Amino acid sequence: MKTIISLVLLALVCTACEKTVTLDYKVNQSKVIIDGNITNATGPYFVKITKSLKLIETGTYPTIDNAVVSIRDDAGNRETLTPRGNGIYQTASLKGVPGRTYTLTVQAENQTYVAQSTMPQQVSFESIKVEEVVFTGETEYNLIPVYNDPMGKGNNYRFVVSVNDKLINQHFIQNDEVKNGVVNTLRLEINDDEVKLKKGDAVNITMQCIDANAALFYKTLMLIGDSGPGGGITPTNPPSNISNGSLGVFSAHTIDTKGVKL
Amino acid sequence: MQPETNRQTHPLSYKHKIAIGISLLLLCSSTLLLGQTKFTVSGTIKQKSSGETLIGVAVGVLEKPTVGVTTNEYGFYSLSLPQGNYTLRFSYIGYEQQSIPVALNANVTVNVNLADGVSLQEVVVSSKKEDENLTSSAMGTEILNMKTAAKIPVVFGEKDLVKTIQLMPGVKSNGEGSNGFSVRGGATDQNLILLDEAPVYNASHLLGMFSTFNSDAIKDATIIKGNSPAQFGGRLSSVLDVKMKEGNNKNYQVSGGIGLISSRLTIEGPIQKEKSSFIISGRRTYADLFARLSSDLKDVKLYFYDLNAKANLAINDKNKLYFSGYFGKDVLGVSKTFGSDWGNSTATLRWNSVLSSKLFSNTSIIYSNYDFNVGFKSEGGEINFNSHIKDLNLKQDFTFYPNADNTIRFGFNVIHHTITPTKAEGSDIVNTKKSRIGLENAVYTNNSWKVSEKINLDYGLRFSFYNVMGGDTYHIYEQNQLPQSVELKKGKVGKTYFNLEPRLSANYRVTSTASVKMGYARNTQNLHLMSNSTGGSPTDQWIGNSYNIKPEIADQVSLGLSKNFNDNALELNTEVYYKSMQHQIDYRDGADINTVPDVESELLFGKGRAYGVEILLKKKTGTLTGWIGYTLSKTERQIEGINNGQWYNAKQDRTHDLSIVGVYTLSPRWTLSGTFIYTTGNAVTFPTGKYLLNNMLVYQYGNRNADRMPATHRFDIGVTYEKPSKGKFQSSWSFGLYNAYGRKNPYAITFKENKINPEKIDAVQTSLFQWVPSVTYNFKF
Repeated sequence: MKTIISLVLLALVCTACEKTVTLDYKVNQSKVIIDGNITNATGPYFVKITKSLKLIETGTYPTIDNAVVSIRDDAGNRETLTPRGNGIYQTASLKGVPGRTYTLTVQAENQTYVAQSTMPQQVSFESIKVEEVVFTGETEYNLIPVYNDPMGKGNNYRFVVSVNDKLINQHFIQNDEVKNGVVNTLRLEINDDEVKLKKGDAVNITMQCIDANAALFYKTLMLIGDSGPGGGITPTNPPSNISNGSLGVFSAHTIDTKGVKL
Repeated sequence: MQPETNRQTHPLSYKHKIAIGISLLLLCSSTLLLGQTKFTVSGTIKQKSSGETLIGVAVGVLEKPTVGVTTNEYGFYSLSLPQGNYTLRFSYIGYEQQSIPVALNANVTVNVNLADGVSLQEVVVSSKKEDENLTSSAMGTEILNMKTAAKIPVVFGEKDLVKTIQLMPGVKSNGEGSNGFSVRGGATDQNLILLDEAPVYNASHLLGMFSTFNSDAIKDATIIKGNSPAQFGGRLSSVLDVKMKEGNNKNYQVSGGIGLISSRLTIEGPIQKEKSSFIISGRRTYADLFARLSSDLKDVKLYFYDLNAKANLAINDKNKLYFSGYFGKDVLGVSKTFGSDWGNSTATLRWNSVLSSKLFSNTSIIYSNYDFNVGFKSEGGEINFNSHIKDLNLKQDFTFYPNADNTIRFGFNVIHHTITPTKAEGSDIVNTKKSRIGLENAVYTNNSWKVSEKINLDYGLRFSFYNVMGGDTYHIYEQNQLPQSVELKKGKVGKTYFNLEPRLSANYRVTSTASVKMGYARNTQNLHLMSNSTGGSPTDQWIGNSYNIKPEIADQVSLGLSKNFNDNALELNTEVYYKSMQHQIDYRDGADINTVPDVESELLFGKGRAYGVEILLKKKTGTLTGWIGYTLSKTERQIEGINNGQWYNAKQDRTHDLSIVGVYTLSPRWTLSGTFIYTTGNAVTFPTGKYLLNNMLVYQYGNRNADRMPATHRFDIGVTYEKPSKGKFQSSWSFGLYNAYGRKNPYAITFKENKINPEKIDAVQTSLFQWVPSVTYNFKF
């Protein structure tokens, strides 16, 4: 919707233009960023702990390498992760099993952060459907992940897209609030300002079945990204499932990857 | 037998209550009790050339300089005076003054036709009477004549009432390319926009670049910034009362205009000569027809059209019927994959009746509908979203003129709302939302009392109550958790909200050229616009009160000072105001209002405050006319769950707002005009930091709306050339240049990784209009 409206606006107003501006940014409070994932694929699984930078800063993100990180599940398993450097902590024996609830505990810089996530049952990722649409003289590609949503309500899906092995920095979340228990026909709303798909591109999509809290986190990111006329919300830090003011997300999810050549 | 009696006594007691209320009000006006033989002179005042009734004509009495009334919105006046001989004086800016001797030995009717054309070159900025600003107790009120709007340059050359209103202090545009506006820190939905009494729910066309008001069909417009008399209600911030022309009841007339992106045509004429008339006015844009010539955009549809029609019929001397209708639609589409349309339609049937020389009645039945549709089509299926709001509205208003010093209005209003939230339709859709019914009712009374030569008082009371009606299941949320649900049967009243809204404004004329004013008003609002976008979008949806959503309440106090110079040629009006708002609504973080099953689960409630100073300096006569308006203001919200419960800037908060409007008459044929505006940018939230998550860049944010868009400023110029008329045929050319010095004003700012160095973040500003020329040819015969 957003892209169509802005396109029409731009067409109407030939004098429209873009320029880079210098803005005064408010002081940024550097926060601990926790990025943890458990999947149904075989381990090891990783938790990454970094800190945020000011918007205008360049260079690498500071990492926290002396944290104590542990994960337990509701089946009585518990493990302390091994630091690997560069802010990365790794599991050894923990297993990702759909239906289990995982609790992450991080002790870093004299603070304790706790997060919980439940791995949903896997919904099978059947294929990627590609639609070609000729729009304003150009061929556009719509990507539709085909999966059969189960009858029960409350399923959330996240899609990670890469084109020619390059990760697309956009968030795609689907759920069964509007349509439930049917084969998905909704495309991924790719912002084509940044990504132009063309013939011959190799597209890889990973489908994740995620829990409601992780979905809310990623959905907020998706809505913020869709700013401008006709869409978008007041930007904010997405509601994190990690306690104690840490940013980031801890997600236990299933994964399934499919590829297609346009 | 028992129920029968009940049915009869109940409405009686209801009537009694109203009668008691009115009597109380009458008692307040002490002069009423003086016993003396009095007679009433009443009548209707019209424009001589066209027969249009004139609103707000000052009717004075030469022998009694302190006595005077103004005509109401139907051109009617009534004046009660002791038996005697008088000379009535009728004056209205831009028209020839007329004096008529009256021997008042019985009740008499004096209808007057005022000739216009005394000062065609003059731009009537706002006044009816030369010193109206000093004598009227009305606060925060501006009246805009279409003659004014016609000369002010606007983007694409389409003269626009709403754009002109936005040049008044205290009224702020939501931004370039937007027709939404904010009054004294209020939100866009807090403006009651009426077209011949019918509420217009979305007053913009073409994504906000045009207003729904076709200037050819409009007589005049009044904006009241929060201190409205008691006959108005239902929105917190303002009333924009737009009146359609009635049509020429003497001669047939065709007028129109051809512009770069749109054209207009109006036909008007008598039905019964000098008694009744009609007007039909239509408009359509054709920008997309040109766009389609380019092969890139041949699949794009983007246009709007609208149609205004009005007819009036004089049944006899005392009764008149009016019918007015509006229909407008916007269409936006891209080949077969995406299509969207939205529009308003309104219809008003009014019956004016002079019940006696002292009592004027108006009964209106109003229909109003706004609907929005958007559809997406792909090989995989089709999905459509739509929302509606449909009103049936009954209004009864009486104007009672007990004596020369008091004008009392009383009446009631019942609106039946059917509100359908954005709902998805298509193959396999399970999310079925239902329409909701609400009844919005009000009883009111208001008195304008001329206390003395120096003091005017306007006071009233509006009692409003809203019934949440059955037909749907209402959920009750506490802290976004669902503790219970109420299933209401159709026709059942679920919950009723009562509100008493006192209104008071007073004017004290300190000297012959200066006056002070003060006012207090409480307004409530029962319908709320759910909008996620900053500029106002057709996808925005209305929602009524429910178990969670309570009526919004605003209390405003204001203080004003008016001073006129140079024999009323220069007028200076200043006002300060403070407004406190309760039950304000916002979304919780991450809310997705279009797909969530119940939008109420996403809402948060809190309060707001707004305060500021407005200064308006007007030059009303001479070859150079115009005004300078300046506003210094602040508006904030405090909502639990947003910004850690701290006060934060509302997005429409702008510190400075300046507009300068000038119209210079070079010669009877050539007119030059210019507009300059400067406003502080909207309050927005920019990122302060950044981090990586799953190898994706994510921005970190600080406090809500703590940042500012860059300021907007712009100069627009216009030239109008009126060709010498050939017989009945008159024509003119208007040329305009919008944003004459090509300032790149901010429309949106987005943050992106620098293409060369991805570690660097660029803030990229999009601008819309730079140097937009326009040319319009207008004609009339």
